[in-house]
Amino acid sequence: MKRRFSRTTSRFHRRAPLQPGAAPDTAWDQPWDVAVLGGGNAALVSALTAADHGARVLLLERAPAVFRGGNSRHTRNVRCAHDAADGYVTGPYPGAELRRDLDGVGSGPSDEALADLTIAESRSVPEWMSEHGVRWQPALRGTLGLARTNRFFLGGGKALVNSYYRTAQRAGIAVRYEASVQGLEWSAADGGTCAAVLVDTPAGTRRVTAKTVIAASGGFEANIGWLSRYWGDAARNYHVRGPRYNDGTVLDLLLRAGAERAGEERGFHAVAVDARSPKFDGGIATRLDSIPFGIVVNAEGRRFYDEGEDIWPKRYAIWGGNIARQPGQIAYALWDSQVQGLFLPPMYGAYRDDTLAGLSRQLGLDPRAVTATVDGFNAAVDQGPGGDFTMAEQDGRRTEGIDPPKSNWAQRLDTPPFYGVPMRPGITFTYLGVAVTAGARVRTADGGTFGNVFAAGEIMSGNILSSGYLAGFGMTIGTVWGRIAGREAALYARG
Amino acid sequence: MPADDPPRDPMPTDDLFARAVFAVEADLFAEARRQLSVCNACRYCAGYCPVWPELELRTDLTDGDLGYLANLCHDCQDCYTACMYTAPHEFALNPPQVFAGLRADTYRRYAWPRRLPAWLTGWRGTVAVLMAAAALLIAVSAAATGRLLSATGHHPGGPYEIVPYALLLVLAGAPAVWCVAVLAVGAVRYWRDIHGPVADLARPRTWAAALVQAARLRHMRGGEAGCDYPGDAPSPARRRFHQILVYGFGLCLASTVSAAVEQDLLGIGPPYAYRSVPVAAGTLGGAAMIVGGAGLLALKARSDPARGTEGMRAADYALTVALLTLAATGLLTLAVRDTAAFGPVLVAHLAAIMVAFAVAPYTKFAHWLYRLLAIYKHNLNPPGRAPAR
Repeated sequence: MKRRFSRTTSRFHRRAPLQPGAAPDTAWDQPWDVAVLGGGNAALVSALTAADHGARVLLLERAPAVFRGGNSRHTRNVRCAHDAADGYVTGPYPGAELRRDLDGVGSGPSDEALADLTIAESRSVPEWMSEHGVRWQPALRGTLGLARTNRFFLGGGKALVNSYYRTAQRAGIAVRYEASVQGLEWSAADGGTCAAVLVDTPAGTRRVTAKTVIAASGGFEANIGWLSRYWGDAARNYHVRGPRYNDGTVLDLLLRAGAERAGEERGFHAVAVDARSPKFDGGIATRLDSIPFGIVVNAEGRRFYDEGEDIWPKRYAIWGGNIARQPGQIAYALWDSQVQGLFLPPMYGAYRDDTLAGLSRQLGLDPRAVTATVDGFNAAVDQGPGGDFTMAEQDGRRTEGIDPPKSNWAQRLDTPPFYGVPMRPGITFTYLGVAVTAGARVRTADGGTFGNVFAAGEIMSGNILSSGYLAGFGMTIGTVWGRIAGREAALYARG
Repeated sequence: MPADDPPRDPMPTDDLFARAVFAVEADLFAEARRQLSVCNACRYCAGYCPVWPELELRTDLTDGDLGYLANLCHDCQDCYTACMYTAPHEFALNPPQVFAGLRADTYRRYAWPRRLPAWLTGWRGTVAVLMAAAALLIAVSAAATGRLLSATGHHPGGPYEIVPYALLLVLAGAPAVWCVAVLAVGAVRYWRDIHGPVADLARPRTWAAALVQAARLRHMRGGEAGCDYPGDAPSPARRRFHQILVYGFGLCLASTVSAAVEQDLLGIGPPYAYRSVPVAAGTLGGAAMIVGGAGLLALKARSDPARGTEGMRAADYALTVALLTLAATGLLTLAVRDTAAFGPVLVAHLAAIMVAFAVAPYTKFAHWLYRLLAIYKHNLNPPGRAPAR
């Protein structure tokens, strides 16, 4: 009855624009070629590619428009193989070198064929991105030593996401915000086919039918409950660097429906962030760069890891895990006035005192324990080989006769005033995802594939890297696999 | 949302930060430092304009640094739309707003004498002063010529029939000299605060670079992409209208100068032919000012007030309307110069110019000077690009 009424009145709706929101949203009723679940880089690339291939596309972003874009909001660059320098990269980056870099992180590529496919496809990514509205930042100084290998988005990830949403609008892609996928309906056809997507919206639950579904909804890094399954109460002390919307609902739905897993289940990438920062969505600004300049102690005032292991920022990813394993999941970076000002200033400032004991009290640490730790550290510096202190390279200034050692940049911590900042693990992303074919089709645990379900981005990045981190490569995976998923889904949907 | 929300970390928060986040009326400079400390820990905007590379060189921001960065900012607002920390994010960053506030502070802080008498400010003051200037012109001219705003007919359309040349020179020249003097004092005071040695202002090559960048509004382009103004998408509209307005203003100045040349060097007195340099330049300039000013007003009306301050918005409107008034009365003077309306219209135009000169250093008009100095300073030692490998 209701449906018939709306059908008879629909012509009037088209002719005379009503008040905003008065017309029924027809996006929920019509059958789509492609439904994209997610609203970040991989989702947008999937949607744009599917539209380029003639598909009618609906994109479902669970965040409100102002927070759209998932983790991509906080990204900054993309790592692609290229043959020569241009205005945006300072030198060649051969595919073989990218492959070597990939081999060098975590346990290396989880599927060599898919990794090589990703690298080969990455060559055409920058041009594709430019064609779809992305703009680039000229290679500037201070780009973390990545100026040769990585292209930086002008204005960063949110600017990139904004550009893609504008392009999507021009391409006629329907975008719905605050559209949170809560269920997938399955039919037995073709090895398991997704028949409909159930979506929570501010106006109630909607049932969307689409010939194909692309899951591009990221991991579960913002789902403290899920993280607690592996890490217990410690997970409650983690900070989540991306939006609070990344709770892995779609990943969970796919795994429950029988998708094959890819990527380290318990794995996550985490860096040291300021303990005073927000629980969610602190992004890039809350990270701390001071660690190699001084020492790090835990809540008991003891050192626990080699602060001078490798050059920053290569080792910056290891400290999230280091801190996560300490009591109370908290640690304190300490330094003195000799190095103050040599690194990115913490956005919340630093605690400061003329004595170590005073600084310890400000930080809530036992002054005697901290003083004993620093005395022991200073003695170990004195026994080391000494030499020039320089952050330009591993300077070989190491401690001697202390465990853990500080292998580089070891310098007495003795010149007041002293500085300190409390740190927490800040989770960037999780590794667990769904396995895919070279056509981005989601594989099932029984050895087959789903008929019409594809995946792109973080939700399938475990196919390429099961652990570890290579700066800018997440965006490469999202773009490469968004293009594959969007193309394959469009071809499938259009027969 | 399945994610459960653990309680916020109980760690004490830096005083400055907490105060500034939660207090809307936080001190402008403290709020600027709070916001820019987040920017300095992020640095994603480095490619948009020189403000961000310059910020990276400064970790302890002095008031002078803030005055420098705020005036180097051309308000393209690209940083705002790119920022993941704008409200409702709890960091609530809004660099265009904080820089607008700081620029208003610059205009107040460095003008000397510090401010105009209160009766001169505001709309009522402006109108009253305009009337007074017009009355003065009429009275003095009438006393000198013995005629009240009417021409003899010997030189139809000649301005000196209405206001004798010597009088005009004194009555319009005095506020002009005042204007230049106040701006010059402000410039030196500002330069001392943001940089230091006045001797560093004597670098011709730096001036050449700075003037080219200013003339092209180089830093209003948001890294080539255009200005996210008045909406969220890059657009060249504001920069173009601003250029049309500025070059129109320049043509009007050129018109005046060329008239002086014709009169004092070539001995050709007004009124000038429609196809002469003074009239052509003035007409084209006036028309351009109207097009540019009207365009800027239209964009401003569609822009988001949250990306600026109320004070700056009012100042923008006031300056644009004032420039439109000057242009419109100027064009009208030409249009009616052969009619009986010529006298009153000419006096209105001259009075407007006198008042404009007198108050200009205390209005948004002064913005170009501080911005030009900031651009010059940026060019003294610009932060570089990554070396090729």
